[in-house]
Amino acid sequence: MDGVRARRESRRSLRRSLGDRPRSGSGSGRVVVAAAARRALLRQQPAAFPDVDNDTPRALLRRVIRNQPQVSPLAPPIADHKETEDAPSEPSSRRTSSMVELQLPDIVPEDTSISTFRMTRSRKKLSISEFERAADKRLPQNQAHSTLDSTLARSLRMSLGSVLAPDTVEKRGLLRRPKNRKAIDIAAFEGGVEQNMQRKAQNYLVELQTASMIEAATATSDAEIMLNNTELFVQPQSVEQNQKKLPALEPRLSESKTPVQRSEISNATQEEGRLVGRVSSVGTDEGRTRRYSEEELINDGEHVDNMAHVSQETSVNDGEDEQGHSQQSEPVEQLSASAEVAGTMEHHTNTGYSEHLEKKLTERAESQIIMTPEEEVVAEGSVKHQDSAKPEPEMARSARAGSLSRHSHAFSSEKSGTKPLEEAVEQADELLEDRAVMGQLDGPEEESTEDEVEMEGQESEEGSMKTPTFVRAPAYRPLPLLPTPRSAKPAAPESPLQPQRAKPVPKTSRKSQKKQREPALASSYIKQIFRHYAKMPVARDAYQIIEKCCEKYFKQLSDDLEVYAHHAGRKTVEMADLELLMRRQRLVTDKMPLHVLIERYLPMEYRKLLIPVAVSGNKVIPSKSMWSSGKW
Amino acid sequence: MRRGAPRGTLRGLLRSHKPQLRLAAGGDLLVHLNFLMFLHRLAEEARTNAFENKSKTIKPEHTIAAAKVILKRSRG
Repeated sequence: MDGVRARRESRRSLRRSLGDRPRSGSGSGRVVVAAAARRALLRQQPAAFPDVDNDTPRALLRRVIRNQPQVSPLAPPIADHKETEDAPSEPSSRRTSSMVELQLPDIVPEDTSISTFRMTRSRKKLSISEFERAADKRLPQNQAHSTLDSTLARSLRMSLGSVLAPDTVEKRGLLRRPKNRKAIDIAAFEGGVEQNMQRKAQNYLVELQTASMIEAATATSDAEIMLNNTELFVQPQSVEQNQKKLPALEPRLSESKTPVQRSEISNATQEEGRLVGRVSSVGTDEGRTRRYSEEELINDGEHVDNMAHVSQETSVNDGEDEQGHSQQSEPVEQLSASAEVAGTMEHHTNTGYSEHLEKKLTERAESQIIMTPEEEVVAEGSVKHQDSAKPEPEMARSARAGSLSRHSHAFSSEKSGTKPLEEAVEQADELLEDRAVMGQLDGPEEESTEDEVEMEGQESEEGSMKTPTFVRAPAYRPLPLLPTPRSAKPAAPESPLQPQRAKPVPKTSRKSQKKQREPALASSYIKQIFRHYAKMPVARDAYQIIEKCCEKYFKQLSDDLEVYAHHAGRKTVEMADLELLMRRQRLVTDKMPLHVLIERYLPMEYRKLLIPVAVSGNKVIPSKSMWSSGKW
Repeated sequence: MRRGAPRGTLRGLLRSHKPQLRLAAGGDLLVHLNFLMFLHRLAEEARTNAFENKSKTIKPEHTIAAAKVILKRSRG
């Protein structure tokens, strides 16, 4: 047995190597294998010497196979049938492996030596049939033992039969030997089936449970993922969150009328206002915008020390973008907060006030003021005022004024302006603050000169109107400065307007005039579109620039269309003119027709109007009848 | 664009600039289309500028530079 096993194992290893090599298909490999096989064979069977036939692997295999059946591989199982039943796994595996291995070499040299195989196969056949008969005999005996054993035996037989079947079919030339099929013991079979089913059911249940758990977990995660990712792009969330924060800030600012906060803010603003005043004295337009942001930053900053240092640095370095960027979030929020506050304030006050403010802002924005001497004077004045006035209300007022002024600057281009100071003044009135403080605060700002003058004038009037604290206003009048010609202009309309704050008539006339002059495209609409196309958070200041761009663009557009229509000898701008314009702008090309652009950018209802579609009944939508077009 | 084209405003704008000029029936829609594409190009250019400056938001400087380029290009 051991010897047989040893030989079998050696043959197995040999055949494995031989079986593997032919697959690779390298001749050298075969030679090597042949040499190895020869050596192995020599070791095992010293009697067989290498002949001419044995040179080739085929010959070697043939020899091996011929010599193989000396000990039938099936014989031991028959003898030890009972033993094998007890432990069928090992022998079956060995038998199958051996049979499989036998098959492999059989396949390879089949062409050359079929006869020999047949001989071997016949021997195998006999052994198999004998085995089967023996197994059959043994079966009824074993049935008494246990169903398990029988099932195992049957499984064993079936496995063996399956392994042998292809072999027999191949080797016997499709001659089928009728196999003796045992009458299956129904009881044993059913028992085995039930056991299988139970086992399977258990497994299935376990699998189901695990699968369900996994599915549930994955489903929730997927759902979460789906729910989370509903935005077009992630960034706007941050913007919206910022916007949400702003209203949160706003009520905080508006509601918290605590002098403490204001004092802090006002302290910061005053200190930095001075610095800002000096900084602003030197500047170009672009620098001014940057400084605006700086001012906003500074004035809105809640961290006094930090801001002071930062402001100094920025003033020295001409406001780098990085600093501005890092701090911009604050001022942006503050600005918006202040804007919100201003808005609320506006609600409280008369609309005329806001009108004046807006007008003032626009005028200021348009004017190019050289503030240096004024700013210096203002700074001095502010210093003076600081000493005298009350700390808290002044601070608060200044803060409000500063914030409002900035806010107003931001909105200057869009709205007609009245003084931001007016709003601040109103706030001050409500807060019972000194007017002088307002003057101080306005001073440090770049455009403050006019504001100061007007503010003070207004403050005086407002003081008379509102609170007794404003009575002090006239005392501070002489403080500010030479009014520029522009200041005179806004001052004039503002003064008459001030007493008319309560009356909406002048305001409406102004507003209607403004609207008639220029039907402004809704800024929020432009914002919406731009934000959608930008796919990035956009700074608030950028929107003003975009607004101006749009105005310029419309001007260009109208000029071009007029030229085209005139060139065509028409007085009406037609679709062809617009298409020509788009062509010249390289929006419409030979590759990109107009219809495609229409479909891409415009909503469905407009598409229907623009693109003629043919429908049944010789009809085209939209109809291009004679009477609809203006030519005929 | 959830609001829809402001056709009246567009006509008013055009009239304000060129009162003698008339506009065809669907002309203002094409004007609106042109306007959208202009904003689109402006936004793209501004976005590119912002990326070049490695900033996550579009700042006024970016838009100014973008406006110069796009306005020149859309002169026709």
